[in-house]
Amino acid sequence: MTQADTGSGSSFKSELLGAIPSLRAFAMSLAQNADKADDLVQETLVKAWDKQASFQPGTNLKAWVFTILRNEFYSQMRKRGREVQDSEGIMTERLAVHPSQHGSMDLDDFRTALETLPEDQREAIILIGASGFSYEEAALICGVAVGTIKSRVSRARSRLQEILGVSGEADYGPDSISAQVMGSSAA
Amino acid sequence: MKSNTMAAAGGRKQPTNQADPLGPNSEIGRKLKQYYDDLVSEEVPDRFADLLRQLDERTQPQPARDGE
Repeated sequence: MTQADTGSGSSFKSELLGAIPSLRAFAMSLAQNADKADDLVQETLVKAWDKQASFQPGTNLKAWVFTILRNEFYSQMRKRGREVQDSEGIMTERLAVHPSQHGSMDLDDFRTALETLPEDQREAIILIGASGFSYEEAALICGVAVGTIKSRVSRARSRLQEILGVSGEADYGPDSISAQVMGSSAA
Repeated sequence: MKSNTMAAAGGRKQPTNQADPLGPNSEIGRKLKQYYDDLVSEEVPDRFADLLRQLDERTQPQPARDGE
């Protein structure tokens, strides 16, 4: 019995499948725990499937599922009775990472620094700086104004620079590797 | 006077001398992408594909049972 002629659901399914790696990365960035992250992804896939009819084909499926995952994450946090962090309060007490030498940081240092950011700033800088969303898309995903995303990204960035002891080096050309090479040959 | 006018003009239009603060010339930007790309390139457990297959099967029209 081959009635495997998959209906209209199949392209939606393959699009969802294709979004899983980024969904997991976003979930990990939010939950910072692999098991929780995968549970989030699973929940998200089920919800996305059930809401399939509300997805408009041709629009950004990745942004759509990111929105679902993000909502799921915050609703789970609220259920667990954990206050959603607001940006201001916890800043000072979280500044526990020691800056690395020489401004060339290890990925582990970076990960640790990222974890110290409040969720709203962390998700903003991830969406903009890593997931490849525009400010407008990130604003829709997070349900806030574009300006809010911009200010969160900028605060997240300065905080990371501060913790990691790097300066805003966007102004000059060479990347850190060639800077190191140039430095050592000059020494 | 002159600087006043310039300041006023500058207040309106944001100075954007850094093209992309999280771009490839920013160490934070590069680490961020490295961090994220590592996560994206992790192997996806089979459970997700299995889940989607189950969801898909559930939604498929049932095969005709009343044997035509």
